[in-house]
Amino acid sequence: MDYVHLRRQAASLRKGLFDQGYLDEQFYQLEDLQDDASPNFVEEVVTLFFRDSARLMANIDQALDKCVKDFNKLDVYMQQLKGSCTSIGASRMKTDCSAFRECCRDENIEGCMRSFQKIKREHSVLRQKLESYFQLLRQAGPVECATRPNK
Amino acid sequence: MASSQVVKVLIVDDDVVTRRIYRTMLLRFGFEITEAGDGKSAVNQFLTGNEYDLILMDNDMPGMNGVEATRTLRGMGILAKIIAITADDANSRGAFLDAGADEFLLKPVNFTMLTVILKAFNFLN
Repeated sequence: MDYVHLRRQAASLRKGLFDQGYLDEQFYQLEDLQDDASPNFVEEVVTLFFRDSARLMANIDQALDKCVKDFNKLDVYMQQLKGSCTSIGASRMKTDCSAFRECCRDENIEGCMRSFQKIKREHSVLRQKLESYFQLLRQAGPVECATRPNK
Repeated sequence: MASSQVVKVLIVDDDVVTRRIYRTMLLRFGFEITEAGDGKSAVNQFLTGNEYDLILMDNDMPGMNGVEATRTLRGMGILAKIIAITADDANSRGAFLDAGADEFLLKPVNFTMLTVILKAFNFLN
């Protein structure tokens, strides 16, 4: 297997995530925290993020489905989601969360709906891209594999 | 410090992802970590007799927020160092410091800045 090629693909995918604004410098901090004691830290945190954010988004969906909209509750849920996005460097999602919160403050339900649809799309795209990235990293293996001579 | 030699830290934040990141940061220093998901749970930790040297306190949490929790803990005579952590800026900072927090960090927490504060608190050799 061409580990060098896989690593290059992973690096290119990662660069694209930053260049296209999906991730910001906070993601670098996660990478800096990964070490021998926590070798899969970044993937673990990202996995945790997508699991927890799916839960929060389900709560928001339910709250938006109600006839009487509780904008305070919606804002609380979105504030939690925004906090999570900030922690992993999910920059575009973070911006969209802020837009949703503005709509909550204005009690603009249509704005909330539009923002939330955008958040769901960004969430899905980011998850796909990061899953592909980590899959490539797993296939490429540790850096030493890339330099192992062919038999 | 609490009676044990190991620095005991209470991380208070309603976001499980954020708590995981802080945990990893602090485990690098060999600290002992406990987590609480809101201000009331944090206060309950002390009411049930637990001791901590350091508290990382988020502000916006359901039920009791970080400022209220900080004020409550200081009112109970808790002397642990409290680092207030918030996405807000001047408003939260003033409220937190008035409530008795020792230091303030903006989210997302920068590991280097956290280390500087921990050194200033003499938690690092």
